[in-house]
Amino acid sequence: MHFAVSLDIAAAAGQAGLTFTEIAGFVREAEAAGVDMVIISDSADAPSSSPFEATTLLAALATVTETIGLVAGASTLAHQPYNLARRFASLDIISHGRIGWNATMRQNPREAANFSRPEGIADSDFHRRAEEFIGIVRGLWQGWDAEALLFDKAAGRFHDPERMHLLDHKGEFFSVRGPLNVARSPQDAPVLVMSGLAAADRSFAAGAADVVMLDEPSPEDAKAVCDDLKRRVQTVGRKPEAVKVLATVPAEFAADSLDDWFASQGWDGLNFALPADISALDNFLDRVLPDLRRGLTRSTDAGATLRDHLGLGAGGGQ
Amino acid sequence: MSGRQMKLGLFLWATGHHIAAWRHPDAHVTAGIDIDHYIKLARTAEAAKFDMVFCEDAAGLREANVQIASQTSRSIGFEPVSLLSALAAQTERIGLVSTASTGYNEPYGLARMFASLDNLSGGRAGWNLVTSASPIEAANFGSTGLRPHADRYERAREFATVVTGLWRRGASGHDGQSFSVRDPLDIEPSPQGAPVMVQAGASDDGKDLAARTADVVFSAAQTLEEAKAFHDDLKGRLAAYGRELDDIKIMPGVAPIVAATKAEAQAKYDALQELIPDDVGVALLSSYLSISDLWRYPIDGPLPELPESEGMKSRQALVIEQARRDGLSIRQLARYFAGARGHWRVVGTPAQIADELQARFEGGAADGFNVMPSWFPGELDAFATLVVPELQRRGLFRKDYEGRTLRDHLGLKRPA
Ligand SMILES: Cc1cc2nc3c(=O)[nH]c(=O)nc-3n(C[C@H](O)[C@H](O)[C@H](O)COP(=O)(O)O)c2cc1C
Repeated sequence: MHFAVSLDIAAAAGQAGLTFTEIAGFVREAEAAGVDMVIISDSADAPSSSPFEATTLLAALATVTETIGLVAGASTLAHQPYNLARRFASLDIISHGRIGWNATMRQNPREAANFSRPEGIADSDFHRRAEEFIGIVRGLWQGWDAEALLFDKAAGRFHDPERMHLLDHKGEFFSVRGPLNVARSPQDAPVLVMSGLAAADRSFAAGAADVVMLDEPSPEDAKAVCDDLKRRVQTVGRKPEAVKVLATVPAEFAADSLDDWFASQGWDGLNFALPADISALDNFLDRVLPDLRRGLTRSTDAGATLRDHLGLGAGGGQ
Repeated sequence: MSGRQMKLGLFLWATGHHIAAWRHPDAHVTAGIDIDHYIKLARTAEAAKFDMVFCEDAAGLREANVQIASQTSRSIGFEPVSLLSALAAQTERIGLVSTASTGYNEPYGLARMFASLDNLSGGRAGWNLVTSASPIEAANFGSTGLRPHADRYERAREFATVVTGLWRRGASGHDGQSFSVRDPLDIEPSPQGAPVMVQAGASDDGKDLAARTADVVFSAAQTLEEAKAFHDDLKGRLAAYGRELDDIKIMPGVAPIVAATKAEAQAKYDALQELIPDDVGVALLSSYLSISDLWRYPIDGPLPELPESEGMKSRQALVIEQARRDGLSIRQLARYFAGARGHWRVVGTPAQIADELQARFEGGAADGFNVMPSWFPGELDAFATLVVPELQRRGLFRKDYEGRTLRDHLGLKRPA
């Protein structure tokens, strides 16, 4: 079993948010307990307020943690693919290979209204646009081959031009030349986490994602979607274990209902969604985390990167 | 400490500002993939009581010709907002200023990011607003090429208005030419009120925007007279916007090479100059002149007549002026330019360098300096251990931080 914790750092408007010290303390305890990754989301549908934006927070967290995976949500509406690819590639170098991007396939109307899209984007366009966006980001992450950097002072050859590749993408919504001006990621590519999937997004996710997070109300529903996803993963020619499916648990932590989620065999792990509330974090650490330990499968020498924790292959070869 | 004191920024740039810095035997060649290198540099600058570290940025390669690009270290590095966010957790007092473009961002997202950096750092963030003059960047954001200079500044003006409005929690709701924003900012206010606004555009449009919105202005100038003319021009524009002379700190770039004796310093400079391949030097010069075929002209002949740039107007003018003034050939100009991209270079002993800085500071040409070490970490260490103490002895620079935030360091008012 893999375990993730999603931390929503946006508090209802007017309520006190978490401090960096509180967040860092929580993440370090989760790290010590062997949680695979913490996922920071900070953009709510309702008016709310965060102390931090997720990717900047991740960079700071990366310097005060050592092994835990760090994932940030960032939407395809609020960013340009070149900028976003660059940000996550940088974060992956800063964290020595522990970074993931949570790409949500759900359009947030608040975000549209604040990012010069007052009418939002038509639903079908949004999904095609998001797929194109994610494809560009993945492509940019492959712009530098392994060993492209030579660092040869005497010969004056910093990198090998043959091992740097333009993307030259010209699509329906974006045109991006590339390459990224950030070196190859220590994980080959940061981990791509996808969430907020509609049924129509499942085939795309099956081909692109490293991790899929399901948001289903019951273990039965989650199992059905998980089985469907794993089938599609095989259809596109990937091994079922190439995509880790995590079922999100909605914040009520009675031990017996957890047992239901544990018992199902379909998914690869659980994601615990926590609000920006220090007592909820304490409760999780004190009451839930000890229970999870019996489900933990990771040995301590399993490798240093997030891909290693999740048992995923290198991101470059897909 | 009595009397006016200078501000010092450390201009970070991977292996160093000299184009051949990465080839220096002691340069940290893996800088562009080594976060610990940057943590060390920031801590060195903090121990020396610098006001801030500053990161430049471009959302694309610096050089289009891959053969040339591969002979420099400039094609890879960190995205600067993530870099500085990491440094925020690893430093305590020093200001953290990052460049970000008004051309390829949205104001709501950028305001969020810098407000977040300000919160993470306890009030030490600054944004260097640039309009981005490179066609290589433009190609990463659409297929329509670089927008004309005037359009870029038009967009930048609207962008800056929206961002400062969001930071200052003013009226929400903006529906303009390029951007629309409905809600107030959803990031909590920071200790600084608003991150420090930095600019470096020196065209007429650039100076006007700076006079209206900037707290700090970086500039490039070769001579004291040029620096003073820029300083007086920019400060002269402040009154029109209801601002006072002290509301803006002007910090020209300076690329020092320092050693115990003048001869030793000169030898260090000459050794670096030896490492510049001619084609790399000429390509760097061409990119700042916005001319793609400079290599066609005889390298030992004069700079040809050039049409006015749609790229960096001010830097083009500065270089042309220097070439004509000193009667330099393309080769000579390129070699000189490769040292610090048109910024002022000083080579000498700690006392000589302090004399030069003091002359510009007291001569009304600068409020401080943006220090551009030729290679890292060596030339930063030399400046911090040799020149800073000399400036402190003369009462020209602080011995300790007086406050906590970047606004405190710079002596800037809190935004209304
Ligand atoms: C010290 C200094 C640093 C600069 N850093 C950047 C940078 O990081 N990115 C960028 O696109 N332009 C940078 N510039 C260029 C200017 O900000 C400006 O965009 C350019 O000079 C064109 O504007 P202008 O025509 O008004 O001068 C810098 C300039 C100076 C003097």
